[in-house]
Amino acid sequence: MTRFEELQQAIIDGKAPVAKELTDKMLKEGIRPGEFFPKAIIPAMDEVGRRMRECEFFIPEVLIAARAARASSDILRPLLVGADAMASAGTVVCGTVKGDLHDIGKNIVAMMLESAGFKIIDLGVDVTAEKIVDAVRTNQAGLVALSALLTTTMVNMKSVVEALSAAGLRDKVKIMVGGAPVTDAWAHSIGADGYGKDAPAAVELARQLATA
Amino acid sequence: MNGRDRILALLDGKPVDSLPFMPITMMFACDRIGAKYRDYATDYQVLVEGQTRTAAEFDFDYVNSMSDPAGEAADCGAPVKFFPDQPPALDEANALLTDKSILSGLKVPDPYASPRMGNRLRALALHRQRLGQEKLIEGWIEGPIAQAADLRGINNLMVDFFDDPKFVTDLFEFVLELELSFARAQVASGAELIGVGDAAASLVGPRFYEEFVWPYEKRMMDGLRSIGARTRLHICGNTRPILGLMGQLGCDIIDLDFMAPMAEGRAAMGPRQVLLGNIDPVRVLRNGMPDEVYAAVAECHCQAGDRFIVSAGCEVVRDTPLENLRAMLHYAREHAVA
Repeated sequence: MTRFEELQQAIIDGKAPVAKELTDKMLKEGIRPGEFFPKAIIPAMDEVGRRMRECEFFIPEVLIAARAARASSDILRPLLVGADAMASAGTVVCGTVKGDLHDIGKNIVAMMLESAGFKIIDLGVDVTAEKIVDAVRTNQAGLVALSALLTTTMVNMKSVVEALSAAGLRDKVKIMVGGAPVTDAWAHSIGADGYGKDAPAAVELARQLATA
Repeated sequence: MNGRDRILALLDGKPVDSLPFMPITMMFACDRIGAKYRDYATDYQVLVEGQTRTAAEFDFDYVNSMSDPAGEAADCGAPVKFFPDQPPALDEANALLTDKSILSGLKVPDPYASPRMGNRLRALALHRQRLGQEKLIEGWIEGPIAQAADLRGINNLMVDFFDDPKFVTDLFEFVLELELSFARAQVASGAELIGVGDAAASLVGPRFYEEFVWPYEKRMMDGLRSIGARTRLHICGNTRPILGLMGQLGCDIIDLDFMAPMAEGRAAMGPRQVLLGNIDPVRVLRNGMPDEVYAAVAECHCQAGDRFIVSAGCEVVRDTPLENLRAMLHYAREHAVA
């Protein structure tokens, strides 16, 4: 098993201390920080996503795998410079919309996007459209990911789309939406760019939108 | 047959003049009386008015007493945020048991003397006073993992299964005592059926469900039966991997959310289990046309067989077209069980 395969396995198994120790060891051995994402972290979390889709992994397994991925990426991110830093998949502003305090779905999507190489600006829950507009502008984000778990709050996704348009930012960002009551038809009706039915689908969608 | 007799007869395996009709309404019922949801959740008279009038308008066979899952946790001291016109919600970032050591000093509050649990008890008593034996009166408690998530924070609890399993079982013990105490008070106040909402059970997969959650759900159901209550289990979300285990809990009614096909539930739980559900509350019941709703209920009935109660997979959402709810009612009333 190569070092990258060992790190992948530690992440899939959710072993954060092992992932951290391996990352440190590999850096000392001279492996470039930019190699970790494409060769270990991204494939590991893709495998976690696959297992989630296949009902082999559930939320606890996904969360500890994401925690292990973060243990590694927290070491690496400050070291990414030059071409490695430029290789980031993009910046995503995410949050649960105004009036809604549900966060576990949003958190899982954020962690999986982060592990897929995106820079995440997580605004948390009960987030106003104004706050999202500010974060997109400040961080020059290319993607906005919105979550809602209630039919009463999903309407606030539309407010975000409208606020981004009013701020002149709509053609600079792609907007993806998700959450239990959200559908593809809803995404289309409010002028969003896509709907992710679960976390792995959200990662796929983000990749498509980031390169569109 | 009145609503109460119809439900109890079906549960007891006797003939019924039509399939029972038991949709979960909360925000929908609140809107029918033009109230604000904060009032519905905190003032039992508003809740009872909403339930009574909505149940009469759509000929439901029961009334419920629930409004949101935050009640018991709030009475334990958990921080809760209130909104003018939507359900109160737990403040996850400041969950009561963010510091796990607090659990050892946590006491089960007296439901009669607690504001939110006491409010539900008063709702049940008023239901009983108004309805007598006309419709079945349902109380509601949170299941072991749902309440544990409310107290600990769901993000923390999901990781605790790996990091600190002893804490999880200690927390479940506390929850069992809390909820059975609340259920006893609800039965004394007029509830004949106790629904157990255990939403987070669908998130953990069969391994943790069987090892941690199921044993406490079983003790909860056994405890409810010992106090004379009929029992109902409602787990939101995709329960397909745990259907077989759910069927071994001995519940009078098992709800299926729309992601779990009725046919799978029937196959996993056998011919005697009463199944409730399970058309898609958003894509079919709210967004569909009445004939689509009717056809979807018919399909559920076909898959479930006659040990079946007509409902949506989860709560009827607040802007559901009235004619769609009536389409469900029509189906129920047109089908008797010999």
